[in-house]
Amino acid sequence: MSRRWVWSAAAVLTIAGLAPALLRAQDPAMSRAFELERRGDYPAAADAYRGVLVARPGEPAALLGLERVLLPMGRSAEIVPEVRAALAANRSSGPVFGVALRAWSAAEEPDSMRAVAERWAAAAPGDETPFREWGAAALSRRDRAGALMAYQRGRERLHRPDALAPELAQLAAADGDFAGALREWLPAIRRLPGYRVTAVSTLSQAPDSMRPTLLRQLEREPDLSARRLQADLRARWGDPLGALETLEGALPGDRAQALEALRGLLDHLRLRPGREARLATGRALELIAERSPDAERSRLRLEAARAYTAAGERDAARRMLTGIADDRSAPGTIASGATNTLVQVLIAEGKLDEAATRLAEHRPEMGGEDYASLRRRLALGYVQAGDLARADSAIAGDSTVDGLALSGRIHLYRGDVAGAIERFKEAGPYAGERAEATERTSLLAMLQPIEADSIPALGQALLQLARGDTSKAVAGLERVATDLPPAQGGAEVRLLAGRLAAAAGKPADAERLFKEAASGDAPGTAPAAELALAEVMIGQHRQAEAVAQLEHLILTYPASALVPQARRLLDEARGAVPQT
Amino acid sequence: MTKEAGILNRRDFLARGALGLAALSPALGRIRLPGAAPWLLVPMDDAQGDHLKAYGLAFRLLERGGRAEWFLNYRSGAFLLPADAATTRDAALNGITTEPLDDGQVIQIRGELAGGNMDAVPLEKAPKVAVYAPPNAAPWDDAVTMVLNYAGIKFEKVWDAEVLGAKLRTYDWLHLHHEDFTGQYSKFFLNYAGAPWLVDMVERNRAMARQLGYPSVPAEKRAVAVAIADYVQRGGFLFAMCTATETLDLALAADKVDIAAAYADGTPMDPDASSRMRWEEALAFQNAQLELSPTVPVYSDIDGHQVNSPERRQPLGSFTLFNFSAKIDPVATMLVQNHRQVIPDFYGLTTSFTRKTLKPSGTVLADEPGAPWVKYIHGEHGQGTWTFFGGHDPEDPQHQIGDTPTDLSLHPHSPGYRLILNNVLFPAAKKKELKT
Repeated sequence: MSRRWVWSAAAVLTIAGLAPALLRAQDPAMSRAFELERRGDYPAAADAYRGVLVARPGEPAALLGLERVLLPMGRSAEIVPEVRAALAANRSSGPVFGVALRAWSAAEEPDSMRAVAERWAAAAPGDETPFREWGAAALSRRDRAGALMAYQRGRERLHRPDALAPELAQLAAADGDFAGALREWLPAIRRLPGYRVTAVSTLSQAPDSMRPTLLRQLEREPDLSARRLQADLRARWGDPLGALETLEGALPGDRAQALEALRGLLDHLRLRPGREARLATGRALELIAERSPDAERSRLRLEAARAYTAAGERDAARRMLTGIADDRSAPGTIASGATNTLVQVLIAEGKLDEAATRLAEHRPEMGGEDYASLRRRLALGYVQAGDLARADSAIAGDSTVDGLALSGRIHLYRGDVAGAIERFKEAGPYAGERAEATERTSLLAMLQPIEADSIPALGQALLQLARGDTSKAVAGLERVATDLPPAQGGAEVRLLAGRLAAAAGKPADAERLFKEAASGDAPGTAPAAELALAEVMIGQHRQAEAVAQLEHLILTYPASALVPQARRLLDEARGAVPQT
Repeated sequence: MTKEAGILNRRDFLARGALGLAALSPALGRIRLPGAAPWLLVPMDDAQGDHLKAYGLAFRLLERGGRAEWFLNYRSGAFLLPADAATTRDAALNGITTEPLDDGQVIQIRGELAGGNMDAVPLEKAPKVAVYAPPNAAPWDDAVTMVLNYAGIKFEKVWDAEVLGAKLRTYDWLHLHHEDFTGQYSKFFLNYAGAPWLVDMVERNRAMARQLGYPSVPAEKRAVAVAIADYVQRGGFLFAMCTATETLDLALAADKVDIAAAYADGTPMDPDASSRMRWEEALAFQNAQLELSPTVPVYSDIDGHQVNSPERRQPLGSFTLFNFSAKIDPVATMLVQNHRQVIPDFYGLTTSFTRKTLKPSGTVLADEPGAPWVKYIHGEHGQGTWTFFGGHDPEDPQHQIGDTPTDLSLHPHSPGYRLILNNVLFPAAKKKELKT
């Protein structure tokens, strides 16, 4: 171990308080001083440390202890006499030099700081620590120019162009000189790759306008360190695909190096939101999988498939999954996970028969809950395809609350209002995802006032909605509403039709339907219809009309649960709060 | 503090308050709704559904020519309003809790007020409110603008041309937020170089300085600061937050002293600026040490928290409102009406005010006990008053550039925002027209 590393380690140990702990066992006076410090009796601890220093003026642990206890008392400058004595008694101790630098800094004596640093450097040739500590002491009194001089002096004395590069980089970044910071970070990373995290964190704060310049600056550098930094920064700056492209083109042949680089970028990509980040994540995982041993490859390919699925890249997801699902050597949980994801992808692509076949083939190795969940997804796929009979058979025997909820929907699509209500009630309000539960509760609220047990036209309209044909659904619902009294479902069905028309970008139809739904004959529905009507008006920048509408709602139905929402919208319409 | 004619000093206030009460009750009685309780009490304790909008309710009543009373220290600063149709409707629309009272109940409350540290202050005239902000200022970057919008209190925006063009005289109340009156662009010039918002801010300020015939932005901003101080001198009500507090006083005290960095006016800051400042020109502060580095976004040691200096930054605590005698000190009492006594602190470019830099003539309204700084101060200058409140946004304690705007409908009970609104209604308590 070189001399400078010995000093650095000693300094770290001492500052962390470990050295006093070790010394405590050896020296009763130091033990007592340390105990007083631990109890928070700083004046007594200072006296005790001073007592040790009278006997041994060059004792670094005592000097550091004295520095520690003077600091919280705001009396740091009082250490100067002890520092002078220590420097005279101990001419080679790094910790003593460090305390001396900080003492002169507190006393605002830059010339003395410089002299101590030079003396320390002479005692430890080739070591960066004296200059690093000198710079840090200057920075502690906000003297950036002094810190810069310390680092530059160090670089000059050490005859190494990369000496103190991290310190100079941070100084440049703090002054807003990100190009200068980049010039320093690169050699720092080349020398010690662990600096990359700090470099990325610092450089990523560069303003938007400077980022292209920094990337071009990196482009001119030929090595992998520069490419990795470039990729990490592009990922941080919202260009995940560009980041991956940068790294992929520079991946070395050495497997370990390539894996380290890819995993480093993956850490950044995983933190980014959005489709492009998911796509880049999938691709990075695929590249890692290609370079990984068999046992790990399946897991990585499954992860990649999930990322591709999240990005909507079904082909790529299927490419990843097909191999794993059919690979009998893949661990059971991985193969099961792959099958699960693959079936979901196939359903999403409308390949229902293939999904059903795969599901049947892999049933033995799947857990019961996973299997039932996939059967329900398959049933939903059949619903979207308009095949209610196969949807029904896909969930036959499924007595879970999720199964009951889905069964209720299928009954509803057949027009069996009474059967749907019964199953929705049995399923309860919590089955399924939150959005699904909310939608089901809304459907139940719409169905309950309806007195008829069966309305096939209503089922047909809702099935068209489930299949994505909103226009036909709106027309169908409006026809159904015409035959229903307002208070017996007519207003609720119109309200739903209006909401669908609004979502489909037909505000005029929506407005007409909401106005009809806001009938005084259906006071349970009118507040919701008035609120929806106001939303349409705001969407068309008719703020004054919306305000009048909302005021009518609040004053006419003051007990409605929608009043707080109406007040919120009223604030937005008046410009009293930011738009959400 | 001087006690010129027209100032709302304690003795005058008591006398006017008593007269106001006598005059107020019959006037209010005339506009009662038939068959309904004649009064609405707007509680401001935890029973209130929307503390912030309650101030707007009182303000709009005054705008309609009505009169109200502010019950200091009664149910955390409740309002007594006439139960007319417009006020009842306004309260219902805005979700403001009101309690109908008959004459007997009002008399009972007045008895309580007389027997404790409480008082009733008549509110007679809606003040005309101006907010000092550049024309492109985002409406969501200023706590006062946000809360005025939320409460439904009308205001107009003014900037340098209006201030130097004497338009200020037409307003009763002026608010300053995070403007840098030292003309150094919040000292972001070097650290945010190239950022579009900074480029726009610099261009806009330089263009205004040229248009008004000043050699530099710092020179023009100092002239604006002097005009604002003159507005207060003539009887205006000034309320400032964040960095406007500190930089206004620095600009005022920097008479013939260069306190601006070279990037702002072409010449470096005077290294002896701290010792050459003329603190007698300042409103609230004295003997501050100025920050000499152009790259450190800190102005002086007036601010206790130094949020943008990593080495000096102090953690946030909470501040405590002082109690004042409602009958003897009605102004200070009005300014601290709240349903919370201890309020979480929040950062701003200027977060707090160090005790050592406060002029003894000011009144501390809130501080952090044991800390070397205070949060909320008030004082008189000539015929007017100033109130300084440190920090940027009471409901966004760590506010950063680019943060999403605060949605006050999520903070309708914000005690920090209430302090701002106390200031808006405070001028309404004056009986006479302001001599601006």
